[in-house]
Amino acid sequence: MVMKVLSADHAVAWAVRRAKAEVIPAFPITPQTLIMELLAEFIADGEMDADLITAESEHSVMSIAVGASAGGVRTFTATASQGLALMHEMLYAAPQNRLPVVMVNVNRSLGAAAGIWVEHNDSMPERESGWLQVYVEDGQEALDMVLQAYRIAEDERVLLPIMVCLDGFILSHTVERVEVPEQEDVDAFLPRFKPAFALDPEDPSTINAIVPPEYAMEMRYQLDRTVERSKMVIKEVDEEFKERFGRGHGGLIDTYKMDDADHALICLGTATSTARAIVDELRSQGRKAGLIKLRFMRPFPHEELREVCSGLRAVGVFDRSIGFNRYGPVFTEVSSSLSGQGLKVTDHIGGLGGRDITLRDMRDIYAIIGSDAEGKEVKRVNWHGLRGVQT
Amino acid sequence: MYEVRFHGRGGQGAVMAAQTLAEAAILLGHHAQAFPYFGAERRGAPVRAFARIDDKRISIKSQIYEPDMVVILDESLLEIDPVVDGLTEEGMAVVNTTKSPDELDLGISVRCATVDASSIAMEAIKAPAVNTAMLGAVARMSDLVTLETVKRAIEDRFGEKLGPRAAEANILAAELAFEKTRTGICKADRTIFQKKVWLPTWEELPTGTTVYPEHIDGVAVGPGGSMQNLTGTWRNATPRYLKDKCIRCLRCWFCCPEGCIKRSEDDHVSWDYRYCKGCGICSNVCPVNAIEMTRGVTEW
Ligand code: SF4
Ligand code: SF4
Repeated sequence: MVMKVLSADHAVAWAVRRAKAEVIPAFPITPQTLIMELLAEFIADGEMDADLITAESEHSVMSIAVGASAGGVRTFTATASQGLALMHEMLYAAPQNRLPVVMVNVNRSLGAAAGIWVEHNDSMPERESGWLQVYVEDGQEALDMVLQAYRIAEDERVLLPIMVCLDGFILSHTVERVEVPEQEDVDAFLPRFKPAFALDPEDPSTINAIVPPEYAMEMRYQLDRTVERSKMVIKEVDEEFKERFGRGHGGLIDTYKMDDADHALICLGTATSTARAIVDELRSQGRKAGLIKLRFMRPFPHEELREVCSGLRAVGVFDRSIGFNRYGPVFTEVSSSLSGQGLKVTDHIGGLGGRDITLRDMRDIYAIIGSDAEGKEVKRVNWHGLRGVQT
Repeated sequence: MYEVRFHGRGGQGAVMAAQTLAEAAILLGHHAQAFPYFGAERRGAPVRAFARIDDKRISIKSQIYEPDMVVILDESLLEIDPVVDGLTEEGMAVVNTTKSPDELDLGISVRCATVDASSIAMEAIKAPAVNTAMLGAVARMSDLVTLETVKRAIEDRFGEKLGPRAAEANILAAELAFEKTRTGICKADRTIFQKKVWLPTWEELPTGTTVYPEHIDGVAVGPGGSMQNLTGTWRNATPRYLKDKCIRCLRCWFCCPEGCIKRSEDDHVSWDYRYCKGCGICSNVCPVNAIEMTRGVTEW
């Protein structure tokens, strides 16, 4: 294992190199560019044997990825924001055709109002595309998750594409110490991709043919069950990863100081790091605050959340995205998981369009959840860092 | 936890400086992170970059508002940016200036290191990239990092990107700066520049993203645009308008990247020099040489 000082984008490129991806369609979009730049360098310097295919749009990038994966090779791509939106149509081709593409989405807001900064409103709408979706917190997790993603995606019980989401700039461009595993260790963990089926000119076949109503329902149900079943694989892969590399990330969810907690925040992405600092602060004041790091949005860890939230007096949900006219998407999902448990849930919306989430914001969030736990009157939906009166 | 905020101009290498400092700290066995602030990006605009150093894993991912140290890569920023915001009297400053610490006025009296990084950079690197010289001064100022680890970090970061010769030149810059850095206490006589930032509440914010000329001086670039980022005294050449020659084609008005040329009723033009960075594009595009670039910061 070599220690390097890398941005999360570069950590991703190192993971892709170690995973020996063979086809990499690329279209540059901020803040994803650092990933493709470094991969292009690896390939140009002969350190990686892959085809980097530049396309004229992200729609074509996803089409190429689908084609390459259908051809039976390990495929990687990355995108962000408008790029992901432009892929939207082609995204749907991968899951139903059971193609294990791994894609990193560097979260960024969608214009208008145009901006290059982090927001989850680009990836959240793609929850229903059939892609598995994981959100990471730091450069190490980004690297490790790309490796794990291939194992999960290519597992024959799964065979689904995975989107690894990381926060634009706050994470993509932050340098930290990152451990890059040795090639032979990765090879042992992630053997060469053996596709269950692949397009082959010697033995022609058709994929993605039209599916009439007689079959469509069953296909959708099959996909639904597969997404559910991927939970088990995600846990297994994380455990094996931990055994081999000494680091696990918790699988579907990770928890921090939850053992005796009476209130907690459910959080994803880099906001989790800042939340952790506040949990430490509250604990030092004798408050029973905890943190639940929601890693996967698909599959959504319904049972796991119910279990870890049972016994809590109040829980808050952090949303770096907004479903217009009240709740954020994470809140909606969490609420449906926890419904019937009689638990008080508040929504906390912040960090939109790249607004910095400060320690103070996080302190305010926990203060509201704490008051909720004590039975005080609080607002169900709270925007943090917003100027003006919340109505 | 130790927090450092870098202030520079777009192009001076503040981001690389923060990353290299973090790497040096990591080489010493600490944990560290470094990250940029991305604003309205353009050459010459004030930029910020941040570094955090700690003995344990760092678990905060927000910007730095109360730094323990500020590193100022360009002295002229003091006129246009509140660079010492959040710095307390226990803090430290490292400044690129020809002044000695006791001559320097930061508006707050703190322990201070000064170094003429611009001259050192010209000597060692033959370019005004002052970032590595500043790291030499940081190593001299505090025991956060040593000169040795700064040199190794420069070798890693610059060597990999720009080749061994660039690494050598940058290491030389750090060494020279380390030797020439003066330390002391700076003065607190000036009033710290405060930015006038338009921060409306959601009720006050105009509907939609269109910003009409009357809102912000004819620069329709939307909330948070260049109007809030004075480029001001950074320029080393200033455009001078020769009104008699002007044929009112308005090319200069159209091409100025800072939007600092204003158009009058009769299509003559005038300048708002607070935003002019002296790039000379207006002068270049003028078909009749009605704009001449003169050295220095002047206003007509
Ligand atoms: S030199 Fe001319 S083009 Fe450049 S910023 Fe100043 S006015 Fe604009
Ligand atoms: S480009 Fe020259 S001639 Fe045209 S408006 Fe500007 S100053 Fe006048």
